[in-house]
Amino acid sequence: MIPSRDETSNQRGCLRLLFRARREAAQAVLLLGLISSVPGVASAASIFVASQDAGQLARIETGTKTVAATIDVQAGPVALATDAHGRIYLSHPDHGAITVVEGRTNRVLRRLLYDGQPFGIAADPDGRFVYIGDWKAGHLARLDAETGAVNAIAVVGKDPANLALGHDGRIWVADRESHQISVINAARMQRIATIPVGEGPFALGLSPAQDRLYVANVRSNDLSVIDTATLKLLATVPVGAMPYGVATSTDGARILVTNQHAGTVSVIDAVDLKVSGTVKVGRYPEGIVVSGALAYVANWFSEDVSVIDLASLHEIGRVPVGEGPRALSVTPNDRSQRSEVVR
Amino acid sequence: MPRVTMRFVTPTIVLALTAIDALAHGPTPQKIDQTITIKAKPDAVWKVVGDFGGIKNWHPSLEKSVGEGGDKEGGTRTLTFKGGGVLKEGLDEWKADNFTYSYRMSDPDLKALPVSSYSATITVAPEGDGSKVEWMGRFYRGDTGNEPPDNLSDAAGKEAMNRFFNDGLKGLKAKVEGSGTQ
Repeated sequence: MIPSRDETSNQRGCLRLLFRARREAAQAVLLLGLISSVPGVASAASIFVASQDAGQLARIETGTKTVAATIDVQAGPVALATDAHGRIYLSHPDHGAITVVEGRTNRVLRRLLYDGQPFGIAADPDGRFVYIGDWKAGHLARLDAETGAVNAIAVVGKDPANLALGHDGRIWVADRESHQISVINAARMQRIATIPVGEGPFALGLSPAQDRLYVANVRSNDLSVIDTATLKLLATVPVGAMPYGVATSTDGARILVTNQHAGTVSVIDAVDLKVSGTVKVGRYPEGIVVSGALAYVANWFSEDVSVIDLASLHEIGRVPVGEGPRALSVTPNDRSQRSEVVR
Repeated sequence: MPRVTMRFVTPTIVLALTAIDALAHGPTPQKIDQTITIKAKPDAVWKVVGDFGGIKNWHPSLEKSVGEGGDKEGGTRTLTFKGGGVLKEGLDEWKADNFTYSYRMSDPDLKALPVSSYSATITVAPEGDGSKVEWMGRFYRGDTGNEPPDNLSDAAGKEAMNRFFNDGLKGLKAKVEGSGTQ
């Protein structure tokens, strides 16, 4: 029923028994999740939502407004990343850990230990490496995705928040308290540039063509637009209070920014770089992702996910999830739709 | 003269740098959400609570409060706590038509409140013949490392923030109901 577990990572002496107990607990919840999921729902993609206080990953199938399954990932997941195999990597900054989940089966594959505060996270498409921003240490670490071993470190700025990994092998790091973006060559694990942005950069979004990087600045209440070829700041767009998440529509024509303090999503025209609309969502919205014509927003305070119809720019539903939802990811169920992923 | 001043200023700078260090947001935000009902119409309540710089007029924990820049986005207030410590807060949203505003802390002062950052919203809404005031927000503990001391933990932050909001709402109720404005 439940496939045997990957044992490669947890061979750490006395911790092993503890992990086994935790895995069994995870499997029990997983089983409940499978029972409660609706068989035969053919959706374009699965939205995964990490709830920090609930220690849970919830799965929502696009086109539905209910949670199809929940996966126990242990306490404190914050940020998440996906690879091309549909695996999901979650950071647990308070617990020095990374959980690896197989999205297709709702199964926790393994838990990697990291000696520090892993916050922002990115995974390379083939699933060999996980990159984490260490909030306390102020560096980016590259971990072996199987064992969690740190195999390289690159210096970044103070309090690295979210990361974005481009197709070209560059990693963009939001250095929150240095008010800059660090650009890292992932192969060499070296910083190749820094770009000053607004105050308190937190969330990052690459345009679908990856010619632009959008940066949500929590303190200055604006969005920095960076040309990824010249590494120059193209524009600064004022948005709502406390922008905390950013994504783009699948065609790249619109930029969506969650405003945590305002409880709204600002919609920005990517050509003229002006706010063209505002959508009311829940309280303290944070992460946002797009799948097709819909956007999904994690409302931290309201403990739910807003579903936004991007054609009408209206919230068309709310999906209750576990306590403390902050970040989401999209995994296309049909591999041909992979280009839709907006992280 | 400037040289003499410098000597006195130096320790302050060191303290300020330490404070900035503590500003780093930790990874675990915490909720605060408190409400109180008041026997007065929302506009009467708003007259008191809607004076952003005048919070000391109704909050019993404050020695002094000074507003700057007006009741609008970008306006600030500086709070001096009776128990010691000073905090500056800035307005993010000002919606007088809806009887609500949102603000956030600028720099932490662990003596005032054992938290590294917070943001909050206060809203007055009609309820029955009177009003309901909700004060909600989000904060991060005083020490955002993974092994905080007890006095800077999530629990310590929760206790202090809940007490600050609760005492404030009670003070607001007493002020409005006591003043007889209807």
